[in-house]
Amino acid sequence: MLLGLDVGGTFTDGAVVLDGKVISTVKTPTTHDDLLKGILAAIDQVVDDVGSRDFTRIALSTTIVTNALIKGDIDQVGLCIMPGPGMNITTSLPVKPYVLSGYIDHRGHNLVGPRQDEVVAACRQFKDCGVFAISGKFAVRNPTNELAVAQWVQQEAHPDYITTGSGVSGTLNFLRRTNSAYYNAAVWRHFNIFSTAVKSALKARGIGAPVYILKADGGTLPLLVARNYPVEAIFTGPAASVLGIMAMNPMDSPALSLDIGGTTTDIALWQNGVPLFAEGGASVGEFVTSLRAFRLSSIGLGGDSLVHRAQGILKVGPQRLGPAMAVGGPSPTVTDAMVVANLIDFGDPQLAIKAMAQVAIDGQTPREVADKVLHTAISIISQAIYDMLAQQANKPVYRVADIVHGTQFTVKHVIGVGGSAVGLVPLLAKYLGVSYDLPKQGMVANAIGAAVARPTVDITLRADTAEGYYTVAELGIKNKLPGHKFTLTDVYALGKKHLTELATSRGIPLGVTEIIQSEEFNVVQGFRTVGKIMTCRLQIKPGVLLNSEEGS
Amino acid sequence: MDAKKLGLVFFPAFDWAISPVHPEREERLLYTRDQIVEEGLLDMPSIQEYKPGMAKINDIERVHIGVPDIGSLITNAHLVSAGGVMAAADAVMRGEVKRAFALTRPPGHHAMRVVHGTRGFCTINNEAIMVEYLRKQYGVRKVAIVDTDVHHGDGTQDVFYHDPETLFISFHQDGRTLYPGTGFTDELGSPQALGTTLNIPLPPGTTDEGLHTVLDHLVMPVLADFQPDIIINSAGQDNHYSDPLANMKITAQGYARLADKLKADIAVLEGGYSIETALPYVNVGIILAMAEMDYSKVIEPDIQTCPSQSSAVTRAINNVVAEQQGMWAMREQLRREAVAKSGDFWQRSRNIFYDERGINEKQTEKVRLCPKCAGYFTITTEARGSDFGYKSAFGAVISREACPHCREAAVDAVHKAKQQEKYQHYFVQNKYEDKLEKM
Repeated sequence: MLLGLDVGGTFTDGAVVLDGKVISTVKTPTTHDDLLKGILAAIDQVVDDVGSRDFTRIALSTTIVTNALIKGDIDQVGLCIMPGPGMNITTSLPVKPYVLSGYIDHRGHNLVGPRQDEVVAACRQFKDCGVFAISGKFAVRNPTNELAVAQWVQQEAHPDYITTGSGVSGTLNFLRRTNSAYYNAAVWRHFNIFSTAVKSALKARGIGAPVYILKADGGTLPLLVARNYPVEAIFTGPAASVLGIMAMNPMDSPALSLDIGGTTTDIALWQNGVPLFAEGGASVGEFVTSLRAFRLSSIGLGGDSLVHRAQGILKVGPQRLGPAMAVGGPSPTVTDAMVVANLIDFGDPQLAIKAMAQVAIDGQTPREVADKVLHTAISIISQAIYDMLAQQANKPVYRVADIVHGTQFTVKHVIGVGGSAVGLVPLLAKYLGVSYDLPKQGMVANAIGAAVARPTVDITLRADTAEGYYTVAELGIKNKLPGHKFTLTDVYALGKKHLTELATSRGIPLGVTEIIQSEEFNVVQGFRTVGKIMTCRLQIKPGVLLNSEEGS
Repeated sequence: MDAKKLGLVFFPAFDWAISPVHPEREERLLYTRDQIVEEGLLDMPSIQEYKPGMAKINDIERVHIGVPDIGSLITNAHLVSAGGVMAAADAVMRGEVKRAFALTRPPGHHAMRVVHGTRGFCTINNEAIMVEYLRKQYGVRKVAIVDTDVHHGDGTQDVFYHDPETLFISFHQDGRTLYPGTGFTDELGSPQALGTTLNIPLPPGTTDEGLHTVLDHLVMPVLADFQPDIIINSAGQDNHYSDPLANMKITAQGYARLADKLKADIAVLEGGYSIETALPYVNVGIILAMAEMDYSKVIEPDIQTCPSQSSAVTRAINNVVAEQQGMWAMREQLRREAVAKSGDFWQRSRNIFYDERGINEKQTEKVRLCPKCAGYFTITTEARGSDFGYKSAFGAVISREACPHCREAAVDAVHKAKQQEKYQHYFVQNKYEDKLEKM
């Protein structure tokens, strides 16, 4: 019995999945002042409904981190960076960093070590900081400088928590890793207080199931692990519904999914049954991070979007002034148009007709206006879809073969979830000339997604046989390679071994491992091949748990 | 919406090499890719990355006459690289970005109009293809190309040698000490285009100081005089002090300041083979400078190994700058004299070497100096090589705005040659009608 909970802007949804079937769903208001209150209310309702508290697993998709960032309920972070030569990133970070000496080059050579006196000075400047983030350029190729600085900071400042950039992400992009490390440290305390509260509240209710936190890439992390990587809990809402879609509707052909809520529509592209990921990672406001997340296009259009006229022209969204007039709202909405067009049965049809009449001109009937409103809404969504497809088509590739044989992404199918999908998705599918599905439990896809999301973890292994060593940044490993005859197959095997170790140490079942990125280059010096550089990124494949037993 | 500062067409062609341990191999831009991605440059709001398209044969034949045809001499990689350079031009011309950098390979500046194979790692000339594309697609007329590769850009010089609307400036390590052994101060263009080819051979050991003397006292003033519609930089990076194939002493700062001063509309990567110690830093420096960002911290970790400039080198640089300043000031007079001296036709014969397969080409160009238009010229080419055999062709090139008489005369010349059956292939590169005809 898997319990999934998703804390949304309006509702906290819960769903229980048993042997691949949804056996209970609940909806309670989100309690913004104290999220835990709403979460516990949802759990209590679920327990009442299924008559048991014997969950195999509880997975939580929560806005706790996002809210903390929005409200500024975060810690002051002692951010220390080792940028070495290159771009000046100090102005592209959320806070002013302390710049330390130390430089690792692109091959992982430690060219300049850090200086302890500088670290002492940094600690003095950051004397009020309880948490630190340390990030060095190319630390993913050699973590020694980051680790040395972390140790000195520990000795000098005794902070409660230290994050390193290479510990948060094993992939290249110093700017994104630095931002990730900063946010990880900034929300650490807030998240940990929340985690402790969740644990004790569940204990008080006699619920002993392990708790997992949903990540933006659709995987889950055991709460114990998430305590060290709280930033992973950011932007999980959209990921939850995408996962829910995956659970309810496996699809192989290129497709797109739409989660149409009250104020926004989240669009995701799907290929080979999985959603596409955002290039580089998610962004927190204007700041890019290395956090893996689904590539979602979010537009300000939903059932509650305001319908009005500006200089005589019909406008739909992005504002929301309240619910539909059909249920007593203050102004005409897209939902009112759907009611008038007989697409849904909702609220009082007479009020909906009144709403459409308010925006009618030149003797239009309410039905004519409703059709115009829906057409406008569909056009807005379609434009966002076309933009996404264009962006996908223009995604840079670095191999000749990928340019010559690159395939076009052609949408064949649309899946709609969320409160307003029922009315809009059939119209949209007709407009695009594709087939569609409206999964039955689409209204709580998010909670279902959380319930069944697989625990995941990923690592990047880079072997440089010319230098004779390999690194796994996420583990802080830089080891000698066994011999010179090291092939890409050996790299996969070694990567899988380290991934297994990491998963085991985090209490994550191994499931299906996959290679998500792999490249191999000869290293030539003076017209002689002296070795190879091989990089591969492996992960436990995100996806959905087919039966309850896998969850533990 | 504000245009972004820099469009970056990054195409490292990770699956293309001339041969496995050749300097032009898969790995060449690997460390540059690592540095660009690690810096986070692709996430900067002022930089927009673009994907190359593929150039069409028609785009290439605006410039080249391949013997027997260009398609059989190139690979898809060449189409993508040329397409990448054209994508950079499109981004600028559409106003999406202020300027663009095509960081693409394979390179192109040693490829001449007639192509029998690959020379100096180049088969087709990306910049020249872009220039003709700019003219065809966007009506651009006056173009300046500044070639800052350590090797003389002999291919680009060849393509535009008779074109008074294209100013070609190349500074490079003296041809007496380096491939391709050309690029001397007396190569000035054919009579009607005299002065629009400007070579600045520099002594080995030239540093940032010398480079910027050349820029400040010669290149920038000449550009200001010429007033081009567009400036293109053939941005080779092998003047770097760590380059294994040359002997110059330029640093990443030197290159970045060059990019900052030149403010080229479009820069195109050419050579640069210190792939580990130079390219990552030089490219980051150029990108930052072109994106109008702070490049002051882009300093090679081993900068202390870069020597300073000797006084003998400084003197030699000052001399060549003075010589070409003088030429530039006198160019109108020199042009009139050269035209008067040549009469109706000007002719040159050259031996051209293709190092990749050891092909020797003997080529003669005969240029019609028409008083009414930019005229036409004929080319005879005969190429020989031990594993290549023998190939020959006769062709005529009709200029973009040729007068009716020149257009007719050019076609007649090819017909006449064909009747005599001395060559294997016959071409008319008709720029007036934008087509290459095989006769």
